[in-house]
Amino acid sequence: MRSVAIALLIAGFAGGFLAARTVVQLDQVVRERFEGRLFRVPSRVLSAPTILYPGLDWKQIELQGTLQRLGYRDSASAERLALGRYAWAPHEVWIHRRAFEHPTRAEPARVLRLRLAGTVIEELHDADTGRELGAAFLEPELVGAYYGPDHEQRELVRVGDVPPHLIDAILAVEDQRFQSHRGIDFRRIGGALLANLRAGGIREGGSTLTQQLVKNFFLTPERSFQRKLQEAVMALLIEARYEKEAILEAYLNEIYLGQRGSTAIHGVGEAARFFFGKSVRDLALSESALIAAIIKSPNGLSPHADNPERTRKRRDLVLELMREQGRIDDVAFAEAQAEPLRVAKLTPEPREARYFLDALQRQLPEFYGTATLTTEGLQIYSTLDLRLQRAAARALSEELTRFEKGYPKLAPKGESRLEGCLIALRPQTGEVLALVGGRDYAKSQFDRCTQARRPAGSVFKPFVYAAALEPAEDGPTATLAAWVDDTPLEVSTPAGPWRPKNFDRENHGRVPLREALERSYNVATARLAQEVGIPRVADMAERLGIESPLAKVPSLAIGAADITPLELARAYATLANGGIRPHIRTFEDVVDPTAGTLERQPIEFERVLDGGTAYLVTSLLEGVVDRGTASALRTQGLVGPIAGKTGTSNDERDAWFVGYTPELVAVVWVGFDEPRSLGLASSAIALPVWGRFLREATGGRVRGAFLRPPDVEEIEIDPTSGAVALAGCPTRRVEYFLPGTEPATTCPGYGEPWRRDEPGEPNLLERIFDSWLERL
Amino acid sequence: MRPAGTLAALFLAGIAAGCQLPRAPGGEPLHVSQQAGAGDPARRASLRLVLSGLDADAGGRSAEASSLYERALQVDPTNPYAWLALARQEVFEGDPERGLANLDKAEALLATDDAAAAHLAGIRAAGLRAVGRPAQAEPFLREARARAPEVWADGKLDAAELR
Repeated sequence: MRSVAIALLIAGFAGGFLAARTVVQLDQVVRERFEGRLFRVPSRVLSAPTILYPGLDWKQIELQGTLQRLGYRDSASAERLALGRYAWAPHEVWIHRRAFEHPTRAEPARVLRLRLAGTVIEELHDADTGRELGAAFLEPELVGAYYGPDHEQRELVRVGDVPPHLIDAILAVEDQRFQSHRGIDFRRIGGALLANLRAGGIREGGSTLTQQLVKNFFLTPERSFQRKLQEAVMALLIEARYEKEAILEAYLNEIYLGQRGSTAIHGVGEAARFFFGKSVRDLALSESALIAAIIKSPNGLSPHADNPERTRKRRDLVLELMREQGRIDDVAFAEAQAEPLRVAKLTPEPREARYFLDALQRQLPEFYGTATLTTEGLQIYSTLDLRLQRAAARALSEELTRFEKGYPKLAPKGESRLEGCLIALRPQTGEVLALVGGRDYAKSQFDRCTQARRPAGSVFKPFVYAAALEPAEDGPTATLAAWVDDTPLEVSTPAGPWRPKNFDRENHGRVPLREALERSYNVATARLAQEVGIPRVADMAERLGIESPLAKVPSLAIGAADITPLELARAYATLANGGIRPHIRTFEDVVDPTAGTLERQPIEFERVLDGGTAYLVTSLLEGVVDRGTASALRTQGLVGPIAGKTGTSNDERDAWFVGYTPELVAVVWVGFDEPRSLGLASSAIALPVWGRFLREATGGRVRGAFLRPPDVEEIEIDPTSGAVALAGCPTRRVEYFLPGTEPATTCPGYGEPWRRDEPGEPNLLERIFDSWLERL
Repeated sequence: MRPAGTLAALFLAGIAAGCQLPRAPGGEPLHVSQQAGAGDPARRASLRLVLSGLDADAGGRSAEASSLYERALQVDPTNPYAWLALARQEVFEGDPERGLANLDKAEALLATDDAAAAHLAGIRAAGLRAVGRPAQAEPFLREARARAPEVWADGKLDAAELR
């Protein structure tokens, strides 16, 4: 008997000890979570804002689609237009734009009235004041986010930011005695037990908000007595340690409320954005009731699901409970119940910019590693233009699919399939406007625009011409009136003689410099590079923005160099930008919502080439588009100033097109990851992608002009001799010259050939005039 | 000599001589607001954003101002006045090196605009002084003062003066 008592005592002691130890352990778990980082919040990347202004083509910028993606809802009438709504009439659009924060300024909510004339915004007004506006912003769009392994998205909220009717709605349906219980609501458990007995199965749960929080935070969904016991103990511990407000806030941010593709929507802040396209602060009563209604079954009761009537009934039940519990009066109840279910259009999470997100992350300082980006909830204001990004993704994907169908040689072979990339920059600022690193990010995260070095081929040639046209100490090697020899060439190298060949296997004799580039003659270009000197060619490429190592061999002239499309885009951007090399910029600001701006990336650039030489090269590259290997762009209906260059590497393994307008530079590369011949020239495969992208980006009509620096002279010359064309010269064309490089002869010729200007000598105009006077 | 030919020659000579007349310095210096209605829709919208930026700058909200200048460049990256406003802000209130680079952009786009010459020279002078090159700054400051003495007497250009 005594030994039994002792055994019982020991067992009791051991049981008590184990229970106490378990409680202490659970307490530790609770404290670690509650007193550490409560939530991991993925950092979001936002696009550049859409700017509306009079004269803008609203169709071109896909205004309606943009509004829908931003969560704006269509309204039948502009009368008393609610926040976040727009009304579209035949000649007018009204937008009740929401307030939004930008790192440097706050944009207040505002009703915008746009008067339309055809596809153009004719006038833009602040509808409240009637004031005409020069420009107005829409919120930046979500480009994507850096998710952790759980792939959850949430927007953290403070209890003070949440409208009381949302808290009331949640408490009414989920835990009406939240303010009075200590973590477990025995009355509710009793009620649930009875209901379940009556129903013959588990129909109702008796969990409080605190228990739900414990379940989501700490435990698995498994249903067992042990898990239930743990849940109860932890709920009691949380209630003992923390204020009700802290528990409620944690719940409001944790609760699972649905799914956007593969991303889980957590918390009422994110749900307000997801379902209603607005801040939680701006929710109406009926909207709050809807959020509370779907907590029970976020996917089954989602307003985006197939059974809106079921969802509406559940919402009305929440409203009914709120009235019963005295949380709302009859009037509020009736008004909210009369509201139809209206939610923002379900837009898929943007996926076309995944390569850009990776490139942005690589450009961020080291501090912003994956751990930071997936947990800190930063807002990154990027440079991406989502409209251009979508156009780029479409152009690449659809055109490559078309080629695969049209050319059997390009059809996928096992794992190897045709790949490509497209990157677009704003040349003046180096801002990345679009970046598509491959056809399918899900299949391959390798970014061919920023990570793949491929043979440049003929897209390298403009660097040879830039080096030849740039004034050296003894003047430039060539002018645009020069001729170059396209006859067989042999260059001695340590590896033996090098004999470049043209694409068409022909030699073309003496050809004008322009034609040599417009037709992309290898031999003429290689000879020009020999005259200039390969080190100067390499130096020019490096100054313009090529960073990959360049072997100083004769074949460098025709593109024997492995470079990335990004480098190429930057180098051509320098030409488009008048010789000023921009730094690549993927973001403007990194903002911590609680601490403000952490990082700012300013616009930076440096002059690396005189504006005159850059203009001459641009003029050459305009010729490539107007008359040369890229003239198909003109037949595609593209109008306006465009400069560009095709490029095909050896055995047609890489197809390139690099082109620019005064405001945009874009590079397209097409090839296979495991190089093999495409069997097509770049003009047949890379050029169409570029052309399609530009047509979607600009509507086919390119704005602006390439500005000629004032010191570049425009002179009519005789193209056959390169002499200045006077009256009576049978052939003529306009050509451009740097100061002091004008032709020294005239057509028809008069007297002695002219030399270059010397100080004190008459200038070109004076000489022509003198010559004319002599004739009189 | 034939009279018609002589007349034509004299006419052409007159044009040639006229082209070579040096422009007198001075005149009304550039105000961005004077340009507000000029150009295509994108340029006009961009100019309005520059003016808003200059207002923010004048009100001491320089971060907001630079953001508005960048938005102006988003709409029209070839707007010289946006580059000029950015250059002014960087030279006097931010990073003078960057300001000088922005000024190069503005200058490339405004090279034929005589009204802008005073500000281009003056901002360059201030930028060069700020980066420790006073000797190089001096001739630019002299030019700015000769062209717009009322603005550049103090060697500074306020946002309101540029507006």
